Amino acid sequence: MTVSLGKRSIAEAVGTFILVFFGAGAAAVTLMLASGTTPSTPFNIGIGALGGLGDWLAIGLAFGIAIAGSIYALGRVSGCHINPAVTIALFATGRFPGRDVGPYIVAQLVGAAAASLLFAWAVGPDAVAIGGLGATAPFLGIGYLQAIVIEAVGTFLLMLVIMGAAVDERATPGFAGLAVGLAVAGIITATGNLTGASLNPARTFGPYLGDWLLAGQNLWALFPIYIIGPIIGAVLAAFLYDYLSGD
Amino acid sequence: MKCYYCALQGGESEAVAICIVCGMGLCMEHAIRKDVDVWEGGYPFPSKRVKAPLPRILCPECYAALYGK
Repeated sequence: MTVSLGKRSIAEAVGTFILVFFGAGAAAVTLMLASGTTPSTPFNIGIGALGGLGDWLAIGLAFGIAIAGSIYALGRVSGCHINPAVTIALFATGRFPGRDVGPYIVAQLVGAAAASLLFAWAVGPDAVAIGGLGATAPFLGIGYLQAIVIEAVGTFLLMLVIMGAAVDERATPGFAGLAVGLAVAGIITATGNLTGASLNPARTFGPYLGDWLLAGQNLWALFPIYIIGPIIGAVLAAFLYDYLSGD
Repeated sequence: MKCYYCALQGGESEAVAICIVCGMGLCMEHAIRKDVDVWEGGYPFPSKRVKAPLPRILCPECYAALYGK
Protein backbone atom coordinates (compact mmCIF):
# COMPACT_ATOMS: atom_id res chain seq x y z
CA MET A 1 0.00 0.00 0.00
CA THR A 2 1.43 3.41 -1.03
CA VAL A 3 0.49 6.82 0.28
CA SER A 4 -2.51 8.41 -1.49
CA LEU A 5 -2.24 9.82 -5.00
CA GLY A 6 -3.03 13.26 -3.60
CA LYS A 7 -0.07 13.20 -1.23
CA ARG A 8 2.21 11.80 -3.92
CA SER A 9 1.12 14.57 -6.29
CA ILE A 10 1.91 17.18 -3.63
CA ALA A 11 5.36 15.59 -3.21
CA GLU A 12 5.92 15.81 -6.98
CA ALA A 13 4.89 19.47 -6.97
CA VAL A 14 7.21 20.25 -4.05
CA GLY A 15 10.13 18.38 -5.63
CA THR A 16 9.70 20.17 -8.96
CA PHE A 17 9.33 23.47 -7.12
CA ILE A 18 12.72 22.90 -5.47
CA LEU A 19 14.29 21.92 -8.81
CA VAL A 20 13.07 25.04 -10.61
CA PHE A 21 13.48 27.54 -7.77
CA PHE A 22 17.11 26.61 -7.13
CA GLY A 23 18.19 25.30 -10.55
CA ALA A 24 16.54 27.75 -12.94
CA GLY A 25 17.02 30.37 -10.25
CA ALA A 26 20.77 29.80 -10.38
CA ALA A 27 20.71 30.41 -14.14
CA ALA A 28 18.75 33.64 -13.67
CA VAL A 29 21.10 34.84 -10.94
CA THR A 30 24.13 34.09 -13.13
CA LEU A 31 22.67 36.25 -15.89
CA MET A 32 22.00 39.02 -13.37
CA LEU A 33 25.57 38.79 -12.05
CA ALA A 34 26.98 38.97 -15.55
CA SER A 35 24.70 41.83 -16.55
CA GLY A 36 26.75 44.70 -17.93
CA THR A 37 29.75 42.57 -18.87
CA THR A 38 30.63 42.38 -22.53
CA PRO A 39 30.16 38.90 -23.94
CA SER A 40 33.31 37.80 -25.73
CA THR A 41 31.37 36.11 -28.53
CA PRO A 42 27.76 36.17 -29.74
CA PHE A 43 27.59 32.55 -28.52
CA ASN A 44 27.86 33.93 -25.00
CA ILE A 45 24.67 35.44 -23.58
CA GLY A 46 26.14 36.30 -20.19
CA ILE A 47 26.36 32.87 -18.62
CA GLY A 48 30.01 32.05 -19.30
CA ALA A 49 31.13 35.67 -19.04
CA LEU A 50 32.17 35.10 -15.43
CA GLY A 51 34.01 31.82 -15.70
CA GLY A 52 33.42 30.05 -18.99
CA LEU A 53 32.08 26.56 -18.51
CA GLY A 54 32.57 27.12 -14.79
CA ASP A 55 29.36 29.14 -14.84
CA TRP A 56 27.55 26.18 -16.30
CA LEU A 57 29.16 23.85 -13.78
CA ALA A 58 27.86 26.08 -10.99
CA ILE A 59 24.38 26.09 -12.49
CA GLY A 60 24.60 22.35 -13.06
CA LEU A 61 25.60 21.76 -9.45
CA ALA A 62 22.72 23.93 -8.23
CA PHE A 63 20.38 21.71 -10.22
CA GLY A 64 22.18 18.52 -9.20
CA ILE A 65 22.22 19.27 -5.48
CA ALA A 66 18.58 20.36 -5.52
CA ILE A 67 17.65 17.16 -7.35
CA ALA A 68 19.69 14.95 -5.02
CA GLY A 69 18.13 16.63 -1.99
CA SER A 70 14.64 16.18 -3.41
CA ILE A 71 15.27 12.53 -4.19
CA TYR A 72 16.51 11.77 -0.69
CA ALA A 73 13.69 13.78 0.87
CA LEU A 74 10.75 12.70 -1.28
CA GLY A 75 11.86 9.62 -3.21
CA ARG A 76 10.04 7.22 -0.92
CA VAL A 77 6.83 9.26 -0.98
CA SER A 78 6.15 9.76 -4.69
CA GLY A 79 9.23 8.37 -6.42
CA CYS A 80 10.36 11.98 -6.94
CA HIS A 81 10.27 11.91 -10.76
CA ILE A 82 9.97 15.73 -10.84
CA ASN A 83 10.16 15.38 -14.62
CA PRO A 84 7.32 14.43 -17.00
CA ALA A 85 9.83 12.67 -19.31
CA VAL A 86 10.85 10.33 -16.48
CA THR A 87 7.22 9.65 -15.56
CA ILE A 88 6.36 8.86 -19.19
CA ALA A 89 9.42 6.62 -19.64
CA LEU A 90 8.56 4.61 -16.53
CA PHE A 91 4.97 4.31 -17.77
CA ALA A 92 6.10 3.30 -21.27
CA THR A 93 8.15 0.43 -19.86
CA GLY A 94 5.24 -0.78 -17.72
CA ARG A 95 6.65 0.29 -14.38
CA PHE A 96 4.26 3.09 -13.56
CA PRO A 97 0.44 2.96 -13.64
CA GLY A 98 -1.23 4.94 -16.43
CA ARG A 99 -3.88 6.40 -14.12
CA ASP A 100 -1.15 8.20 -12.13
CA VAL A 101 0.65 9.73 -15.13
CA GLY A 102 -1.74 12.67 -15.62
CA PRO A 103 -1.84 13.76 -11.95
CA TYR A 104 1.94 13.46 -11.69
CA ILE A 105 2.57 15.63 -14.75
CA VAL A 106 0.02 18.23 -13.68
CA ALA A 107 1.64 18.37 -10.24
CA GLN A 108 5.10 18.78 -11.77
CA LEU A 109 3.90 21.65 -13.98
CA VAL A 110 2.14 23.34 -11.06
CA GLY A 111 5.26 23.04 -8.88
CA ALA A 112 7.46 24.46 -11.65
CA ALA A 113 5.09 27.37 -12.31
CA ALA A 114 4.85 28.19 -8.60
CA ALA A 115 8.64 28.18 -8.30
CA SER A 116 9.14 30.60 -11.19
CA LEU A 117 6.43 32.97 -10.01
CA LEU A 118 7.69 32.96 -6.43
CA PHE A 119 11.27 33.46 -7.63
CA ALA A 120 10.16 36.46 -9.73
CA TRP A 121 8.30 37.96 -6.77
CA ALA A 122 11.16 37.36 -4.33
CA VAL A 123 13.97 38.62 -6.56
CA GLY A 124 12.17 41.44 -8.34
CA PRO A 125 11.71 42.62 -11.94
CA ASP A 126 15.35 42.00 -12.92
CA ALA A 127 14.74 38.27 -12.43
CA VAL A 128 12.41 38.46 -15.45
CA ALA A 129 13.96 41.30 -17.46
CA ILE A 130 17.60 40.17 -17.13
CA GLY A 131 17.48 36.64 -15.76
CA GLY A 132 14.52 35.52 -17.85
CA LEU A 133 13.69 33.33 -14.82
CA GLY A 134 16.32 30.92 -16.13
CA ALA A 135 14.29 30.00 -19.20
CA THR A 136 15.89 27.66 -21.73
CA ALA A 137 16.36 28.45 -25.42
CA PRO A 138 18.71 27.23 -28.15
CA PHE A 139 21.88 29.28 -28.46
CA LEU A 140 23.27 30.97 -31.55
CA GLY A 141 23.74 28.48 -34.38
CA ILE A 142 21.67 25.71 -32.80
CA GLY A 143 18.64 24.95 -34.96
CA TYR A 144 15.27 23.63 -33.87
CA LEU A 145 15.97 20.01 -34.82
CA GLN A 146 19.51 20.14 -33.48
CA ALA A 147 18.16 21.40 -30.18
CA ILE A 148 15.66 18.53 -30.00
CA VAL A 149 18.48 16.05 -30.60
CA ILE A 150 20.72 17.64 -27.95
CA GLU A 151 17.88 17.59 -25.42
CA ALA A 152 17.13 13.98 -26.33
CA VAL A 153 20.75 12.90 -25.89
CA GLY A 154 21.06 14.71 -22.56
CA THR A 155 17.85 13.19 -21.20
CA PHE A 156 18.93 9.81 -22.57
CA LEU A 157 21.94 9.89 -20.24
CA LEU A 158 19.83 11.11 -17.32
CA MET A 159 17.31 8.28 -17.77
CA LEU A 160 20.05 5.71 -18.27
CA VAL A 161 21.52 6.69 -14.90
CA ILE A 162 18.08 6.50 -13.26
CA MET A 163 17.58 3.00 -14.74
CA GLY A 164 21.01 1.74 -13.70
CA ALA A 165 21.33 3.44 -10.32
CA ALA A 166 17.74 3.27 -9.10
CA VAL A 167 15.33 1.13 -11.10
CA ASP A 168 17.59 -1.91 -11.41
CA GLU A 169 17.18 -4.04 -8.28
CA ARG A 170 20.89 -4.92 -8.46
CA ALA A 171 21.89 -1.28 -8.00
CA THR A 172 23.80 -0.36 -4.83
CA PRO A 173 21.18 1.10 -2.48
CA GLY A 174 21.43 4.69 -1.31
CA PHE A 175 23.48 6.17 -4.13
CA ALA A 176 20.76 6.97 -6.66
CA GLY A 177 20.17 10.53 -5.53
CA LEU A 178 23.84 11.38 -5.68
CA ALA A 179 24.35 9.65 -9.03
CA VAL A 180 21.34 11.30 -10.65
CA GLY A 181 22.24 14.72 -9.28
CA LEU A 182 25.81 14.51 -10.50
CA ALA A 183 24.68 13.23 -13.91
CA VAL A 184 22.40 16.23 -14.29
CA ALA A 185 25.23 18.58 -13.26
CA GLY A 186 27.52 17.02 -15.86
CA ILE A 187 24.93 17.16 -18.64
CA ILE A 188 24.16 20.81 -17.90
CA THR A 189 27.87 21.69 -17.87
CA ALA A 190 28.33 20.07 -21.27
CA THR A 191 25.17 21.14 -23.08
CA GLY A 192 24.00 24.19 -21.14
CA ASN A 193 25.41 26.62 -23.67
CA LEU A 194 23.76 24.74 -26.54
CA THR A 195 20.10 24.44 -25.53
CA GLY A 196 20.01 25.49 -21.88
CA ALA A 197 20.04 21.77 -20.97
CA SER A 198 16.48 21.51 -19.72
CA LEU A 199 16.12 17.70 -19.88
CA ASN A 200 12.70 18.26 -18.39
CA PRO A 201 9.51 19.77 -19.86
CA ALA A 202 8.38 21.00 -16.43
CA ARG A 203 11.68 22.78 -15.82
CA THR A 204 11.15 24.77 -19.02
CA PHE A 205 7.40 25.27 -18.49
CA GLY A 206 7.80 27.19 -15.21
CA PRO A 207 10.10 29.95 -16.48
CA TYR A 208 8.21 30.18 -19.81
CA LEU A 209 4.93 30.73 -17.99
CA GLY A 210 6.49 33.19 -15.57
CA ASP A 211 8.15 35.21 -18.34
CA TRP A 212 4.94 35.23 -20.37
CA LEU A 213 2.75 36.35 -17.47
CA LEU A 214 5.20 38.93 -16.16
CA ALA A 215 5.85 40.75 -19.45
CA GLY A 216 9.09 38.95 -20.17
CA GLN A 217 9.93 37.12 -23.37
CA ASN A 218 7.33 34.95 -25.07
CA LEU A 219 9.22 31.72 -25.77
CA TRP A 220 6.31 29.30 -26.23
CA ALA A 221 7.28 28.61 -29.85
CA LEU A 222 10.37 26.86 -28.51
CA PHE A 223 8.49 24.71 -25.98
CA PRO A 224 8.11 21.67 -28.30
CA ILE A 225 11.92 21.31 -28.25
CA TYR A 226 11.77 20.71 -24.52
CA ILE A 227 8.82 18.34 -24.73
CA ILE A 228 9.82 16.19 -27.69
CA GLY A 229 13.55 15.91 -26.99
CA PRO A 230 13.40 14.87 -23.32
CA ILE A 231 10.53 12.41 -23.82
CA ILE A 232 12.21 10.69 -26.78
CA GLY A 233 15.53 10.50 -24.92
CA ALA A 234 14.04 9.16 -21.71
CA VAL A 235 11.85 6.54 -23.39
CA LEU A 236 14.72 5.33 -25.58
CA ALA A 237 17.03 5.02 -22.58
CA ALA A 238 14.48 3.06 -20.56
CA PHE A 239 13.84 0.57 -23.38
CA LEU A 240 17.55 0.28 -24.18
CA TYR A 241 18.39 -0.42 -20.55
CA ASP A 242 15.71 -3.12 -20.38
CA TYR A 243 17.14 -4.70 -23.53
CA LEU A 244 20.75 -4.53 -22.35
CA SER A 245 20.08 -5.80 -18.84
CA GLY A 246 17.62 -8.54 -19.82
CA ASP A 247 18.53 -12.22 -20.15
CA MET B 1 13.04 -23.23 28.46
CA LYS B 2 11.58 -21.32 31.39
CA CYS B 3 10.55 -17.65 31.51
CA TYR B 4 13.42 -15.55 32.83
CA TYR B 5 11.17 -13.02 34.54
CA CYS B 6 9.09 -15.65 36.28
CA ALA B 7 12.32 -17.35 37.40
CA LEU B 8 13.51 -14.09 38.95
CA GLN B 9 10.27 -13.99 40.98
CA GLY B 10 10.71 -17.61 42.06
CA GLY B 11 8.18 -18.96 39.57
CA GLU B 12 8.66 -21.60 36.94
CA SER B 13 6.43 -20.92 33.91
CA GLU B 14 7.30 -22.32 30.51
CA ALA B 15 8.67 -19.89 27.92
CA VAL B 16 6.50 -19.49 24.84
CA ALA B 17 8.68 -16.90 23.05
CA ILE B 18 12.19 -15.49 22.93
CA CYS B 19 13.09 -11.80 22.95
CA ILE B 20 14.48 -11.00 19.51
CA VAL B 21 17.04 -8.59 21.01
CA CYS B 22 18.48 -10.30 24.11
CA GLY B 23 17.30 -13.88 23.65
CA MET B 24 15.47 -14.14 26.97
CA GLY B 25 12.85 -16.87 27.27
CA LEU B 26 9.45 -15.32 27.95
CA CYS B 27 6.06 -16.59 29.08
CA MET B 28 2.82 -15.16 27.67
CA GLU B 29 2.60 -12.71 30.54
CA HIS B 30 6.05 -11.19 29.96
CA ALA B 31 6.32 -11.36 26.19
CA ILE B 32 5.53 -8.08 24.41
CA ARG B 33 4.52 -8.28 20.78
CA LYS B 34 5.45 -5.21 18.76
CA ASP B 35 4.25 -5.24 15.17
CA VAL B 36 6.57 -3.33 12.82
CA ASP B 37 5.45 -1.96 9.45
CA VAL B 38 7.66 -3.08 6.58
CA TRP B 39 8.19 -0.74 3.61
CA GLU B 40 9.68 -1.86 0.33
CA GLY B 41 10.82 -0.01 -2.78
CA GLY B 42 11.76 3.64 -3.13
CA TYR B 43 13.10 6.10 -5.68
CA PRO B 44 11.96 6.29 -8.48
CA PHE B 45 8.86 4.51 -7.20
CA PRO B 46 6.75 5.29 -4.16
CA SER B 47 7.53 3.02 -1.22
CA LYS B 48 4.89 0.39 -0.52
CA ARG B 49 3.89 -0.80 2.91
CA VAL B 50 3.75 -4.58 2.94
CA LYS B 51 0.23 -5.67 3.91
CA ALA B 52 1.20 -7.78 6.92
CA PRO B 53 3.37 -6.15 9.57
CA LEU B 54 6.41 -7.97 10.89
CA PRO B 55 5.80 -9.38 14.38
CA ARG B 56 8.63 -8.82 16.88
CA ILE B 57 8.68 -10.34 20.35
CA LEU B 58 10.48 -8.30 22.99
CA CYS B 59 11.05 -8.63 26.72
CA PRO B 60 9.91 -5.69 28.89
CA GLU B 61 13.47 -4.36 29.30
CA CYS B 62 14.32 -4.39 25.61
CA TYR B 63 10.92 -2.90 24.79
CA ALA B 64 11.59 -0.06 27.24
CA ALA B 65 15.10 0.47 25.86
CA LEU B 66 13.94 0.58 22.24
CA TYR B 67 10.70 2.48 22.62
CA GLY B 68 11.25 4.39 25.84
CA LYS B 69 8.10 3.04 27.48
